[in-house]
Amino acid sequence: MTLTHLNARGEAHMVDVADKQETRREATASGRIHMLPQTLALLVEGGLPKGDVLATARIAGIQAAKRTPELIPLCHALALSKVTVDFDLDHDNACVKVKATCRLNGRTGVEMEALTAVSVACLTLYDMCKAVDKGMTIDAIQLEEKSGGRSGDFSRASERAALPTESPAVSDESGVSDATVTASKAGDVPSVRVRFLAELRERVGQESLTVPVASLANADILSVKRALRERDDRYAALDEPRILMAHNQTLASDATRVEAGDEVAFFPPVTGG
Amino acid sequence: MTWEVRVQEPAFDVGIEQARWFGTRHDVGAIVSFTGLVRDFNERPDVEALTLEHFPGMTEKALADIARQASERWQLEGIGIIHRVGRLLPGDVIVLVSVASAHRRDAFEACDFVMDYLKTRAPFWKKEHTASGDYWVSERQSDRDDADRWEQQ
Repeated sequence: MTLTHLNARGEAHMVDVADKQETRREATASGRIHMLPQTLALLVEGGLPKGDVLATARIAGIQAAKRTPELIPLCHALALSKVTVDFDLDHDNACVKVKATCRLNGRTGVEMEALTAVSVACLTLYDMCKAVDKGMTIDAIQLEEKSGGRSGDFSRASERAALPTESPAVSDESGVSDATVTASKAGDVPSVRVRFLAELRERVGQESLTVPVASLANADILSVKRALRERDDRYAALDEPRILMAHNQTLASDATRVEAGDEVAFFPPVTGG
Repeated sequence: MTWEVRVQEPAFDVGIEQARWFGTRHDVGAIVSFTGLVRDFNERPDVEALTLEHFPGMTEKALADIARQASERWQLEGIGIIHRVGRLLPGDVIVLVSVASAHRRDAFEACDFVMDYLKTRAPFWKKEHTASGDYWVSERQSDRDDADRWEQQ
């Protein structure tokens, strides 16, 4: 196996594809953006300030696929015959799954186009929703399938079944074996998401972070405070009696139980009205 | 009972909102509205602007819960709450609470209650911008005392 974008001297070069046979090429890539459940609810209702989120992200993904060679240095400009971008709203895991498929009859593969479409669609989802949720994360951007061309066909599901011990960067798509699902769960550290608001956010100098459940002495908010205190002295501010806390957006106390996937917010007394 | 809670950046017209909520109702005998405005003096003189922050999701839930509590304590036909966030200037409307009832006493008391609870329980924070610098507004004991009045009844 060699890296085709390096020449004999190890320098980057664009592969000459003039003599390659034209074949039908197709590639599918996927990715995810995780957000707060209420952000996803707003997205579904169309209640976000920038308007129709999914339609905008779809156009962004299609446009990005067409402009891939402007972004990836050694990528050929291709006349794509088809680009689709689809979204799957996963309410159980509070995320949007993005899937892009690119196709053409040509001499090079279209996996970079599919991966770029997914990446830019995810970035556009972030841009469209960031007014209400700045802690969103994008992950698991990956090639799912590729067909046509000399390097042969690729399918993540079958690849994983053949190599069950490989690193756990696998998708959540249905149809994967039990072994890959287990590996995927082991890859994500079960954590509690912590947010800081208003004056407290400015004092600790950050908006959000995650605390692994495994690092908690007990599964309660007091232990979350202790774990943060051990990380850095600036989190001593959380122990001030005036600081309030919310568990999944309901006012809570030190004794409130937490589990993986929960959100804990800390903030000063309120001053609205 | 009809009710609505909204948190938004844009300015709004108090009269239009109130007409939209209760304009077609013939069972409403009284509407009491509170409109909160940005003052140009507070902890320091010469307040030039203020920035209001909220906790998206939780703030809306808290406002809805306050409206629900008011409707359980008094005989009401409707409650509307709009609270603005973002950067506001002296004279701008910050908040509107409108309470509709068949009779005035319920409307007066419920409106007072909603504002007291909003000021002490809904996650909003004000940062004031003055000629001598910016600062986060401190909570007031008097606001807490006002809200406590309703607990004792």
